[in-house]
Amino acid sequence: MSQGRKDPLNLIITGVGGQGNILISKLIGEAMLEEGYWVTIGETYGASQRGGSVASHLRISRKTQHGPLTPEGQADIILGLEPVESLRMLGVYGNPTSDVITNIRPIHPMAVAIGEAEYPSLDRIKQGIRELSHEAWYLDASEIAIGLGAPLLTNMVMAGALIGSGLMPVGEEKFERQLKANFEKERLSLNLKAFGLGVSTIRKGKRASHN
Amino acid sequence: MESKACQALVDEVIKRDLCTFCGACVGLCPYFIAHDGRIVLRDHCDLAQGRCGTFCPRISLDLEEMNKAMFGTPYSWREVGTSKAIFMARSTNGKIKGRAQDAGTVTTLFWFAKDEGFIDSAVMTLFEDKSLPKGVIVSTEEEILACAGSSYVATPTVEAFNRGAQEDDRKKIAFVGTPCQVLALAKMKGSTQEGRNPIGKLQLVIGLFCTWALSHPGFTQFLEREVSNPIIKYDIPPHPANVLQVYTEKKRIDISLEHILPFVRPACQVCHDLTAEFADISVGSGRGEVLEWNTVIVRTPRGMEIVEGAKRKGLIEIREIPKENLARLERASFNKKRRALDRIIQKTGSVDDLLYLKLQAEIARQLLAE
Amino acid sequence: MSNIAANAPNTSQLLMGNEAIARGALEAGVGVAAAYPGNPSSEIIATLAQVAKQLNLYVEWAVNEKVALEIAAGASFAGIRAIAAMKQNGLNVALDFLANLNLTGVPSGLVLVVSDDPGGISSTNEQDSRHVAKALDLPLLEPATFQEAKDMAKWAFELSEEIANACLMRSVTRISHARGNVTLGELPHLENQARFDISRRPYASIAATAPKFHERLHQNLSRMSEIYERSPFNWYVGPKSPDLLIVTCGSGWFHSKEAVGILSKENSVGILKLGTTWPLPKGLISRYFLQTPKVLVIEEIDAFLETNLKELSADLTTGRTWTFFGKASGHVNPFGEITPDFIIHAIADILKVNYVSRSVDYQKKSQTIIKESILPRDSQFCAGCPHRTTFWAMKDALRMDGRQGFVVGDIGCYSMGLASTGFSQIKTVHAMGSGMGIASGLGKLNQFGFNQPVLAVCGDSTFFHAVIPALINAIHSQADFLLVVLDNAGTAMTGFQPHPGTDMNAMGAPSPPVDIEKLCQALGVKVMVTDAYDVKETTQKLIDLLRDEGKPRVLICRRECALIRARKENPLYRVRINPDKCIGEDCGCERFCTRVFKCPGLIWDRNTKKVKIDEAVCSGCGVCVEICSQEAIFREANG
Repeated sequence: MSQGRKDPLNLIITGVGGQGNILISKLIGEAMLEEGYWVTIGETYGASQRGGSVASHLRISRKTQHGPLTPEGQADIILGLEPVESLRMLGVYGNPTSDVITNIRPIHPMAVAIGEAEYPSLDRIKQGIRELSHEAWYLDASEIAIGLGAPLLTNMVMAGALIGSGLMPVGEEKFERQLKANFEKERLSLNLKAFGLGVSTIRKGKRASHN
Repeated sequence: MESKACQALVDEVIKRDLCTFCGACVGLCPYFIAHDGRIVLRDHCDLAQGRCGTFCPRISLDLEEMNKAMFGTPYSWREVGTSKAIFMARSTNGKIKGRAQDAGTVTTLFWFAKDEGFIDSAVMTLFEDKSLPKGVIVSTEEEILACAGSSYVATPTVEAFNRGAQEDDRKKIAFVGTPCQVLALAKMKGSTQEGRNPIGKLQLVIGLFCTWALSHPGFTQFLEREVSNPIIKYDIPPHPANVLQVYTEKKRIDISLEHILPFVRPACQVCHDLTAEFADISVGSGRGEVLEWNTVIVRTPRGMEIVEGAKRKGLIEIREIPKENLARLERASFNKKRRALDRIIQKTGSVDDLLYLKLQAEIARQLLAE
Repeated sequence: MSNIAANAPNTSQLLMGNEAIARGALEAGVGVAAAYPGNPSSEIIATLAQVAKQLNLYVEWAVNEKVALEIAAGASFAGIRAIAAMKQNGLNVALDFLANLNLTGVPSGLVLVVSDDPGGISSTNEQDSRHVAKALDLPLLEPATFQEAKDMAKWAFELSEEIANACLMRSVTRISHARGNVTLGELPHLENQARFDISRRPYASIAATAPKFHERLHQNLSRMSEIYERSPFNWYVGPKSPDLLIVTCGSGWFHSKEAVGILSKENSVGILKLGTTWPLPKGLISRYFLQTPKVLVIEEIDAFLETNLKELSADLTTGRTWTFFGKASGHVNPFGEITPDFIIHAIADILKVNYVSRSVDYQKKSQTIIKESILPRDSQFCAGCPHRTTFWAMKDALRMDGRQGFVVGDIGCYSMGLASTGFSQIKTVHAMGSGMGIASGLGKLNQFGFNQPVLAVCGDSTFFHAVIPALINAIHSQADFLLVVLDNAGTAMTGFQPHPGTDMNAMGAPSPPVDIEKLCQALGVKVMVTDAYDVKETTQKLIDLLRDEGKPRVLICRRECALIRARKENPLYRVRINPDKCIGEDCGCERFCTRVFKCPGLIWDRNTKKVKIDEAVCSGCGVCVEICSQEAIFREANG
């Protein structure tokens, strides 16, 4: 079910600093701008930018410009590049009608890397997402990106998953137009591939419906 | 907060001026470093128990238990430690005698042990002029000879053993050092600490008689002021000389001990062990009619094997120790124990708290009463 | 993406607030732009630098904010419209100049944009810059939308010339760094011609002339106020006689609008959005005040507007009183940034309505889940960061030195030397260069029995910004200190901008670098250089320098920022673990490389109980090879 009728449509793209959430938030924002929407993109940071939690908040509306911060409980879609971050954003901004699309590959914080803490299992994360959302999709976007030879393209795969899910009032063609306008030849084909794989993967996959 | 092993070492030993700088805690891990005459904890290890605390001769020292484990007999406070034989010995090798501190016994025994394949390496202390001496692990006769001579400065030589034992091609290692270093090795032997105990490679321990050791950088800075030429050797002749003899290339300088004693390491004040009671063989200098000889105490079968072997090959000659010398040695040894106990109780204020010594208060009282 | 030089009026782009400001300046025909990097202001000048060549601008990353403002003023004195941009701390640095510039005035448009950082998200403080406008009697503008950021920036130049004085524009993170729809205007076709009129009265206020200029400033204030009455940057939405009047500015506009919408109170709550917040347009404000008994003021950081409105209301001779709500009443948080949720709750409280963002059940569930499954992500140095290795060397050297020495610092990525990622070495952080100044003081306490070694750290950029005068001071006073300059070849924290020590300028052209080592030699201070990656050498040099006490000493630790390097070159090494040699948790290691050294490229595997390299994160610097005591990490040079 598309969230397209909601106004404003609040999309949060979250991950860890360095994963490139800002890039895809800009591309999505520009695609929506071209469709005649008012788009505001805000950023929130966790403890730090370098390796810390980051999120782009997109406020998309037909009526007016909205502020750059999502009020509590108003997130419609959470697109997560990292599973713990998806759960974190859902916890703060989610509500029972929120939909979640998330990558399942973890990025370990320092506490885990040095052996002082344990990263929650994917099952636990899924359980948490199940309790707090309407529907959820899970994919290993990192694996797909690594398969293309570029782990940094995880964000582009997730962008494909988002557009391919049908939750956004914009289709693949329009998004691909943005890619063509912003990338040069050699980077363009790889980004298009990553995007395309995200689209096809989410369409093949099972959506986890919760209520 | 639960006490960590490394922190216990810092609080109970280093901060209380009990650290002998033997080096047993260094070279096992990246957390302890020996630097500039001090043991430094550069980072915290989270383990509640570690080899550092287990090997340290100034933590939880139970002489009774250790003696039983090593020799099968009770610890003797009156004698010069457990012994099988006590006599005088000296090298028959002219080259060694010329270079050595006294009569060259240690160097000769090491040469013999190496020749016969008892050992492939030796951990010794090398001193160079006025720098802080350093523990080294050596393999050749030349290198062993180069380490002959006492420097009287406390050196973390056990670190060299800890590191050397990690080298794969060293399988049988000998050690010569001071009583505190020897104690650390004895603790290592008795340790139930699993895994990575370097003691497995230790074949022979020779301990040197020791009254005290000097601190770096205090003493070395003093020397730099007093002695301009390179130093070849030191000696402290027996009572009543009361001087430190410093031999440079050009001459010998006598410095009154009164100027030297301020540099004695505080930890030495509470040391009970004159003759390195937990070695295979303990060696000291001779005096009086046997001035040109080493005093030798053999304690273990391994020690006996080495000494008798060397004697059979004519590398050392032996003679009996004069009764008077032995009596004097036993008195000196007992006095050091009593002084140590005295000073410990002065520090703690109670005979029930003997710092690192695990000794019943009753026994301590008895010893002090004599 | 954003193209602020686009010659495409009436088209729309998704611009960052800072980009919109830059575009506004372009539309005003700006010729010169100068700044010092500072979040959240950096993009203003960075964006202009990118189009400088194309549009014939002169753009500079100046050595500090005072010089940046002086550069802009110089341009203005010669008839060129100029813009200077900085964060709130930068305004403090420029204040001495600004507090004299306001008295002399400027002939050509000069706009000073200050981006405040409410909540101090990337700052050492959260300071409200607006007070400066009131203190210096300068006009203050606050954009509330992205469109306004552009339009206001453009108009600010006109206002500046109207009153022949500098104009202050205050933005905040939520406007500067967020993006929104901006319709572009026209780019002017003018040729900027610079010329200084030597015949006119000098731009100077000295001795007793200040009161005269001060009086003129006050007269200007009245004129500004009149201009503001008609400004399109002030607007009202809501009923004619609202139960509650919200007066807001800046980012408060979006939050207020959203809050009123969420509470469905459009029919009883009015919002007066002011873009011109000093001086206040009294007539306009009093007209709306007269329609309501209650006023809620919403703004970022201090109760600046709130207090000024209260002042204004006291002067209104109507006999009426108002109930004010805002920071003083506790409805709006007086510290930290304002958020839509704070505002919603404030309005709900005043209007006595119940608001619940989510059901109690959901709220409880989400709190439990967050607590149980979420891990904090601590600040840390990047993999391969030379600061990690330098602080490691400092930690070891100070412990080995044994005299309880410590480190005082200033601002940059290396400020994280405060935290465990930097082994908690730094003990003070305040302003740019303040570590060196503090060390200059600590280094003279010998007569009071002080014998702890003092290390001051600074970056290559802060060295030029503020450390040099403090260093000269300490050299002349023969203070006992060791200055460690962390030279990573750029102003890394804010986005790798160049500075006088680098060989390039803001516009990408080559520039002769000032050599820090040579400068120190010229100052007559003992200086040594070391490679930050060479931990052994750096530690030894530190030990030696610490021992060489009683005088000033400098150690320059050189190594390019790992992120800058990664953009240009392949990693130095391919780093790998030999799991057979890794002893992990056992006595002898206890996870030394991950638990103590803490490089994010090293991961502790709880299952295999061994360390492994995170290939996606490892930068290939190879330093961990020296850290491991078991030789379990090895490296191969990258061909």
